[in-house]
Amino acid sequence: MVRKFTVPQLLLLYVAMVILVFAYLVPFSLMVLGSLRKSISFIPDLGYMFSENTLENFAYIIRRELFPRWFLNSVIFAVVPVLTQAVLCTLIGYVFARKNFVGKGTIFWIMVSMIIIPTQLLVIPQYILFDRLDWIDRYWAILVPDLWAILGVFFARQYLQTIPKEIDEAAFLDGANDWQVFFRMIMPLCAPAIATIATFRFIANWNDLFRPLIFMLSERMFPLPVGLAALYSIEGNFGVQMAAATLAFVPTFTIFLLFQRFFTQGVQMSALD
Amino acid sequence: MTKLNPTLADGPQARPTQPPLTWWGRAKRELRRNSFAYIVMLPVLVHFALFEFGPFVFSFVLTFMDWPLIGAPKFVGFANWQASFGDPLVWRSLWNTTLFALYYVFPTIALGFLLALMISSDLPGTRLLRIMVLVPFVTSGVIVAGIWQYIFKGNENGLFNFLIGQFGAEPRAYFSDPTLAMIVLASLSIFRISGYLMIYYLAGLRSIPRHLYEAAEIDGANGWATVWYITLPLLKPIHFFVAVITTIGAFQVFEQMYVITRGGPAFATTTIVYYLYQVGFNMLRMGYATVVAFVLFVVVFILSTLQRRYLGKEVSYY
Repeated sequence: MVRKFTVPQLLLLYVAMVILVFAYLVPFSLMVLGSLRKSISFIPDLGYMFSENTLENFAYIIRRELFPRWFLNSVIFAVVPVLTQAVLCTLIGYVFARKNFVGKGTIFWIMVSMIIIPTQLLVIPQYILFDRLDWIDRYWAILVPDLWAILGVFFARQYLQTIPKEIDEAAFLDGANDWQVFFRMIMPLCAPAIATIATFRFIANWNDLFRPLIFMLSERMFPLPVGLAALYSIEGNFGVQMAAATLAFVPTFTIFLLFQRFFTQGVQMSALD
Repeated sequence: MTKLNPTLADGPQARPTQPPLTWWGRAKRELRRNSFAYIVMLPVLVHFALFEFGPFVFSFVLTFMDWPLIGAPKFVGFANWQASFGDPLVWRSLWNTTLFALYYVFPTIALGFLLALMISSDLPGTRLLRIMVLVPFVTSGVIVAGIWQYIFKGNENGLFNFLIGQFGAEPRAYFSDPTLAMIVLASLSIFRISGYLMIYYLAGLRSIPRHLYEAAEIDGANGWATVWYITLPLLKPIHFFVAVITTIGAFQVFEQMYVITRGGPAFATTTIVYYLYQVGFNMLRMGYATVVAFVLFVVVFILSTLQRRYLGKEVSYY
């Protein structure tokens, strides 16, 4: 809604906007500029922050044996659930939206109710379970529980309810079976919903600290958030810390810029209304 | 010749008579008819029972157990519950979490609302602001905490100390002062989450019909009056919703305590989740940690129930 503003109002708005943009920009500039500094400690001086740039810190951090491994672990923890959830959440959402089975309403209600249970509570019994399964310190501990998620199912179901049934019913009349209908009709129809589920899951899993902190014990298995937290305490060099942080920052930042619209929808879907 | 589809006009006698099905026959028919749903849902339910529902139920049991990771688990009755009520650190961490919520919830909501208000003006430059304020939200809290350590570094080399130094203020050691440490940790969450709340407020603002503003303008209301008398009251459901989700978020805060202060100085930033992490995964007292987690669960449960009740009977104003 573009309204008419008086000149003082406009002035006030723009002063506030400039201050805010600046306030949100400073921490990230500190990180990126800091990653390019030679000196080992932070000095709050513009001349220093914009002095000659060097990529030494990046060269150092990617050669430190564990950092690339942490990056790889983060990719695994984020990308595998994105792929499985893209298919499985849509599939389960399709069943809830279009099919009938005994106990459908109750099961859906129980699953949706589980969303309010804090991860921090579930992690303790899960730890005991994974300890028995010998999954502690293995990728399974994150990947298997994340095969599908109720939030994504909820969203796919909502989305499918907005698509007329007749579209996929027509395919059945042409002799297609359920799997063909799902892969050839439903998945393509749900592309925007899948993009939302995938974007949201990627960002959430890339940034997740708590679960990998609990389930991953050896440094080789850390994803970036856990690794970075460890790096801050063992590596005192300001530039190196900021270079590592910058590299961890780039993937979610890029995904966010590319899929902003889907991400915003994902946020709204997490409100479950 | 039997009709394939008997109609009402044929009368009940005209229907082909079938032998009554046994429960097993009915089950088989149901399985055949909806086979696809069962093939999909069976593994899903097993997975759900094993990794979500089962652990949840098991967590009740755990609160009555002494469960060290090495050695045999032991049933201890209400001992964990009793111990937690007598544990000063449980109360301390609850109090700390409440303090964190006090510093964090209102400023985040206010900032989120102001941001949405500015962005909804659709003036040139608002698109940039919209992207900027969401970047901290999509960035890991660990990354932001790493930056915060330098902004609020205790000596005169901290960015914030440097800035206030320009106005003649003395540098302060933020992370070793109990009150300041919590405020600074809350500022990190304000920075990260206000953009997220902005999304909800922006959606709310866009849904307010324009004619209400036009009517107010005719009545001679100025900009601030329309915000105060129209926008704020109409967004009541959203105020309520964001207040609940930020309070729930406040009770789950962990990252900056883990990265920056490690619960210190002198337990001043030991929040409920940080304490449960300490008890469960540093001292490996799983049963006791579950009791602490239940305290968190109860808070979250009460808040979500309130929200459901309230939003369930929400009426539309327009």
